[in-house]
Amino acid sequence: MFEKILIANRGEIALRVIHTCREMGIKTVAVYSDADKTAAHVIFSDEAVYLGPSEPSLSYLNMDALISAARQTGAEAIHPGYGFLSENHEFARRCQDEGLVFIGPPPEVIQALGDKITSRKIMLDGGVPVIPGLSRCEPDMAVLKEAARAIGYPILVKATAGGGGKGIRIVHGPEEMEEAVAQASSEAFNAFGNREVYIEKFFTRARHIEFQILADQYGHTIHLYERECSIQRRHQKIIEETPSLALSPELREEMGKAAVKAAKSARYANAGTVEFLLDEENRFYFLEINTRLQVEHPITEMTTGLDLVRLQIEIANGQKLSLKQGDIRPRGHALECRIYAEDPEKDFFPSPGTIRFMKEPGGPGIRIDSGIYQGFEVPVDYDPILAKLIVHAGTREEATAKMIKALQDYIILGVKTPIEFMMDVLNSRPFREGRVFTDFIPAHFSDWKPDRDLADVAVMAFLAHGQGKAGKKKASLGPEKALSPWDTLGNWKL
Amino acid sequence: MEYDFMVNREKLSVQAVISKGAVISKGPGNSEGHIQVQRENRSYEAEFVNVSDHQVLIHVDGKIFNAYVSRHGNIKTVILRGRSYEITDADLMEETSPGKKSFLNTASVVASPMPAVVIGILVKIGDRVEKGRGLIIVSAMKMETTLFAPFEGRVSGIHADIGDKVMPARILVDIEKD
Repeated sequence: MFEKILIANRGEIALRVIHTCREMGIKTVAVYSDADKTAAHVIFSDEAVYLGPSEPSLSYLNMDALISAARQTGAEAIHPGYGFLSENHEFARRCQDEGLVFIGPPPEVIQALGDKITSRKIMLDGGVPVIPGLSRCEPDMAVLKEAARAIGYPILVKATAGGGGKGIRIVHGPEEMEEAVAQASSEAFNAFGNREVYIEKFFTRARHIEFQILADQYGHTIHLYERECSIQRRHQKIIEETPSLALSPELREEMGKAAVKAAKSARYANAGTVEFLLDEENRFYFLEINTRLQVEHPITEMTTGLDLVRLQIEIANGQKLSLKQGDIRPRGHALECRIYAEDPEKDFFPSPGTIRFMKEPGGPGIRIDSGIYQGFEVPVDYDPILAKLIVHAGTREEATAKMIKALQDYIILGVKTPIEFMMDVLNSRPFREGRVFTDFIPAHFSDWKPDRDLADVAVMAFLAHGQGKAGKKKASLGPEKALSPWDTLGNWKL
Repeated sequence: MEYDFMVNREKLSVQAVISKGAVISKGPGNSEGHIQVQRENRSYEAEFVNVSDHQVLIHVDGKIFNAYVSRHGNIKTVILRGRSYEITDADLMEETSPGKKSFLNTASVVASPMPAVVIGILVKIGDRVEKGRGLIIVSAMKMETTLFAPFEGRVSGIHADIGDKVMPARILVDIEKD
């Protein structure tokens, strides 16, 4: 087994990897930028290496600095986490060339699956259903329009490279096609340096269902069942659950087999995620394979009782996967809420700042994967995820009630969070009835306003705050400066 | 006393009497004081304990409420049962920060809406700009926002460089009206 692993990431996912490494007796090397000098992942690692300025391209995306940090500390493997360089085939190849183990699939697999046209072709050849569309970049507008007519509008024009909602346009009729192709193409070129776009059918109402897969280096591949990730804002998942209410046992088995087939067709190794779109008639289509650990992996860990990071490390170390498909028996229901520093009342706008006070919920079946602590300044330079709250219970109803209670007990002061918003989502009828589709937030919560039922009590708390002994104690312990009546008056009115 | 609060930008007026110190505690904890609040025709009696700098225990009508409070400037954020209330004393705000409110409300300044990093400057000193012209691009947490000219005029000052970290109060571009 490896003696030391470098974690090429930050925040909660870096800490998640550190937890497992510690349990396995593996030393960890954290890396950090200027903005993260006192970040939680740095504090809790065994060693930490400075990469460079806060700007991601100079630090967490800086391959030279990462490789040299691994060299300098004697780390034998690199765990990329998610985001940053986790799906970068050049980095995976660099690691290989330098004799470092990249904890993830081989570079050629990352490269093939990173190109949407190539991965479509791999799936078509492997007999995995793909979204009706054109599996090539077609420059002739007449041919394109004819293909679109055959598929049926609305159509999605999609960049073959990249992701993150960039280089994508929805086309409602042939008259919009030319402009949409031009825009998507130029956006894709600016973002990923590749102009190629292709078209596929767009589903206005669909579910996003993904299957966790595990494959060792010797072709043994299994799946760890599904995750339902339909609740999204700005094309980013915010609440995930497993199992999905939309799948019958037969459909689940069929999709699981398709996921394994997809992974095998791509010669996949390590942990990965096969994403499917499920339309309203319960037909499923391959979307893409994410060649990394997903943000929402903990819900699978809760129901299967497995540690995915441990399995990733073992597979990368060349061990055989001893688990058989029949060994995987998910239990109960798990939910995850992503806690971002953002303002749900202002269109989920980022809300950076200092964590002034923090108190995490407790109780059975509650897990928190967090990257923050009291006093931490949330940097403006990176993704605003602070923590993930995960619960596990016997049924969906129990898990939902547990999550609402846990959200109520999760206190974060100093930045805005969507905690309240999520409480209302989980309490809502469409969620309780399982009517979750990718348009859930715009359809049911576009004009959300928080409940203000306890405003009177809040006002009492405002008045009482700092009026008692705790306040006095602080004042008496205070520095040299004598307090003037104006300081001690506080909010009293005379 | 009469208080005019702003609770999440909505006005809330109450009559309140606070008495500190020796109170015979009816609830859990050693009460540090007593509050009586009246709003419209409802009236509440509460006892309170400041458990820590950020936690206030309030005992009202037989119910226990744990309130978590942080203060920044004139604003206190109070979290109660998972819900967050931003409260300011409206009178206090006007007394202590004269003009600040109107200054921020006029939407006539070019400033970032949040702490952010400047990633693009689209104009230079001397440029004539129309209302709505993009001036500066800032980025916070992977989200880019363009700041637009609030009115027509000539750019007379630029107070930021690419890579600068800027706060919401900082004016980034001066525009002189003709």
